Amino acid sequence: MSTAEFNTLTSLEGELMSQRETAEIEMAARDISVWFGKRKVLEGVNIDFPKRSVTALIGPSGCGKSTFIRTLNRLHELIPGAALAGQVLYEGSDIYSRDVDPVQIRLKVGMVFQKPNPFPSMTIRGNVLSGLKLSGMKRDNHDDIVEKTLRSAGLWNEVKDRLNAAAGDLSGGQQQRLVIARALAVQPHVLLMDEPCSALDPASTLKIEETIRELSKEMTIIIVTHNMQQAVRVSDSTAFFLAAENEPGHVVEQGATTEIFGNPQDQRTLDYVNGRFG
Amino acid sequence: MSQPDVEERRDLKAAATSHRGDRIFNGIVIAAAFTALVVLAGIAIFLGVQTIPAFQSQGLSFLTTTAWDINTDPPTAGIWGMLYGSVLLAVIGLVIAVPVSILLSIFMVFLAPKKLATALTNVIDLMAAIPSVILGLWAFYILNPTAEEWQQLLNQYLGWIPIFENASGNYLGTPFIAGFVLAIMMIPIVTSVTREVLARTPPELINAAESLGCSMWTMLRFVALPYGRGGIVGGVMLGLGRALGETIAVFFVLKIVFDTNWYHIIESGGGSVATLIVSRFGEVSGEFELSLLLAAGFFLFVMTLVVNVIANLIVARTGRIKS
Amino acid sequence: MSTVVFDSAALPELQQQKIQRPWRRKPAKLGWSIAIASIVPLVIVSAMFWSTNIPGAVLMTVVYLPLQLVASGVAAWATKGTRGILDSVIIVNAIGATLFAMMVLVSVLGSLFVRGWAALSAHFIYQNNVYISPSTPLDYGGIGHAILGTFLIVFIASLIAVPIGIATAIYITEVRGRAVPYVRFFVQAMSGVPSVVAGLFILTIVVATDAFSQSALAGGLAYAILMLPTVARTAEEVLKLVPEDLRTGALALGSTRSRTVLRVVIPAAKTGIVTAVILGIARVIGETAPLLLAAGNSDQTVLNPVGGPIAAIPTYIFNNVALPYPDAVARAWGSALVLIILVAVLFTLARIFGRGRIGK
Repeated sequence: MSTAEFNTLTSLEGELMSQRETAEIEMAARDISVWFGKRKVLEGVNIDFPKRSVTALIGPSGCGKSTFIRTLNRLHELIPGAALAGQVLYEGSDIYSRDVDPVQIRLKVGMVFQKPNPFPSMTIRGNVLSGLKLSGMKRDNHDDIVEKTLRSAGLWNEVKDRLNAAAGDLSGGQQQRLVIARALAVQPHVLLMDEPCSALDPASTLKIEETIRELSKEMTIIIVTHNMQQAVRVSDSTAFFLAAENEPGHVVEQGATTEIFGNPQDQRTLDYVNGRFG
Repeated sequence: MSQPDVEERRDLKAAATSHRGDRIFNGIVIAAAFTALVVLAGIAIFLGVQTIPAFQSQGLSFLTTTAWDINTDPPTAGIWGMLYGSVLLAVIGLVIAVPVSILLSIFMVFLAPKKLATALTNVIDLMAAIPSVILGLWAFYILNPTAEEWQQLLNQYLGWIPIFENASGNYLGTPFIAGFVLAIMMIPIVTSVTREVLARTPPELINAAESLGCSMWTMLRFVALPYGRGGIVGGVMLGLGRALGETIAVFFVLKIVFDTNWYHIIESGGGSVATLIVSRFGEVSGEFELSLLLAAGFFLFVMTLVVNVIANLIVARTGRIKS
Repeated sequence: MSTVVFDSAALPELQQQKIQRPWRRKPAKLGWSIAIASIVPLVIVSAMFWSTNIPGAVLMTVVYLPLQLVASGVAAWATKGTRGILDSVIIVNAIGATLFAMMVLVSVLGSLFVRGWAALSAHFIYQNNVYISPSTPLDYGGIGHAILGTFLIVFIASLIAVPIGIATAIYITEVRGRAVPYVRFFVQAMSGVPSVVAGLFILTIVVATDAFSQSALAGGLAYAILMLPTVARTAEEVLKLVPEDLRTGALALGSTRSRTVLRVVIPAAKTGIVTAVILGIARVIGETAPLLLAAGNSDQTVLNPVGGPIAAIPTYIFNNVALPYPDAVARAWGSALVLIILVAVLFTLARIFGRGRIGK
């Protein structure tokens, strides 16, 4: 390839990029099917996750949303008998290829779980820094990290005077925000949230939603939720999962959140977002 | 690029990570996990080797006869009476311990108020924790005189039953006393397993039995005991394994004689492999006798291993049925 | 329309209703029949106890138990009819079995305290047995050397068995390799190894290798064989209680398997692990046969793990039980009391630590 050709190519690419700068793809699922042993639970899922956007995954229980989100940081494989087809692309390359270290993926793709799971043997401060210790990552200025991540998670003002208290002393909502701060401390590029508010009261839920909006300015967020209003409030785009009885789940419809909720193309989506089932 | 090129299913494994720390960690943990196997194999090999001199000098009669004359020429030694004696003592222990344990468990699970049942559980645990040397001490000084009286009465009134014959008039050092001490050691083991399986009788079965107007007896007979049978048998086998290997408590209350005591349970003198080893070890006459003792230890090991494996298989199987 | 005046007397029924548990009401005759059924046999047996010279224990088993069975059977028949009879037989026997077990326990512990207390004194705890013969009065000597010996041997055993036991539990609950069922099987089989066999095994190594003699190290090795299965099985139970959330949480943070176990799972199960260790120690601390074979005996204080034969409390008891000297026997009782107190302390500690919940 000559230099000139290369230049045209890059300039062309630059043009294309500028056209859809907001839609630069950080992560993508390509034709993902998932099994537990012999049982197929997901089929042919294709979703793009644009950079610095919030994507909501909605659908009734048991449709494979949580399973799907766990394939995105290779936690799915912890379950014995787990199997997968298709690709999960992170910055363009498959995270499941043989030479990829799952630990590196999990550092880039953080996760917050349904139930807050701070480490009981550690203090609040210790929990925030636990990701650095556990992954062996070296970062200076631990005090700054603690303050910055706790501020991002909206918890700083509540705990700044008792950073050395046990994490178990916090309320459920505080614990969940602590866990978010813990995930942020390793500076992930993507944050997966698996029904982060389902175990929380409305006030804590609101705080966490604010946090999500704040965080989406800097990172890509993928959130599983059962709460339709929450999906509307926080997400830019939405994917609707559905599983017929005894069949693997699949994506019925996806697109901008406003479209999915305001003008769904599929009857089932319309029924679901209007609360007729699920 | 973004077109999927991997269509087929990929099986995923979590364990495989390429981190050096993980590999070292896995290596250490796997090595530790197989320590139990290594020790068992070591026991089997080291003690098994010692059966060679025993069989070379005694042939199969080492297992089938009862004798221990090491300093004669040629020396004779046979441990049949000891092997049989171990089993006899364990059976006497079981005859006492099993009914007591089952009744005790019934009391704890179905009759006692909750607080009393919890207290009893703790007491039974405490009973299991009493070291055998202390039980031996107690049996030697406290149990012996009382047991002597009992056995005399048994002989006096039931002497016409062969097992209660006593020709010597000596009522100490009998298999009955040793079996009684073993029963005391078995009761906590059998009780804790039995109590647990009875307590796990599904309440809906008990309710069903009660709604049918069952009395407590019929509930036990047709619901709780059949349901827990496997677990109870397993617990009994665990107790049996413990009894076969018990050494010190038996040492103080059984007179070891090299003459098979088949069934005279209140006659002085009996056998026990484990106790033979300890009692001869103190005055062992040389390498040959030591290797005979080690060979006896090998057969004790095999005997208890078989009983324990069966016990654990039974307990595990009933556990599976329940879950 | 007239105003309604609130009248509390109008609501007496509801407000004054007492809590009742009609299902607990017993049949009228029950109280009487229980009283008669328990008093009559007792009276007859006490009369026999005072008037004849049949030993109490025999009287209880041969006369009282059958009598009580008959009395309760009659009482049950009177209140519940025929189907109550078998129930009463079970109940009487169950209570009898419980009383029997309690009697044995009280007899063992009671005799320990009564006879052991006489031998106890400050110097009994810290002096050793040098210059002491079986006939020396209790004013001299003690089991300090045996207590230290027990501690040293148990310490050595713990050093070996605790890490291996915990690692075995980690293999079963954390690594979850393909061999898990086999490993559990071997650990269970190992827990059935008779203590005397463990002693013999170490002895063969001692004899075969000449590397070391009877010593604290050899005794500790024999103890470790007995301790390992207890530690491994208790630790396995404890690690299973650690919520799966914590493991996934750590892994999601980019932790490796080993760091997850060492920094998250084990700290979360800390108190339970301590319990496992204590139960392991309690399992072995009174074992005598392995020490007779592997550790030997000594009258001196030995602190060197490979410094030759060493005394321990169980072997000290063993060597003094059947001696024809009252003072030696008293020493055996005294040491037995010390030993049971050690065991009781260990069990209390295990209970206290065991109560500390996982994850709090």
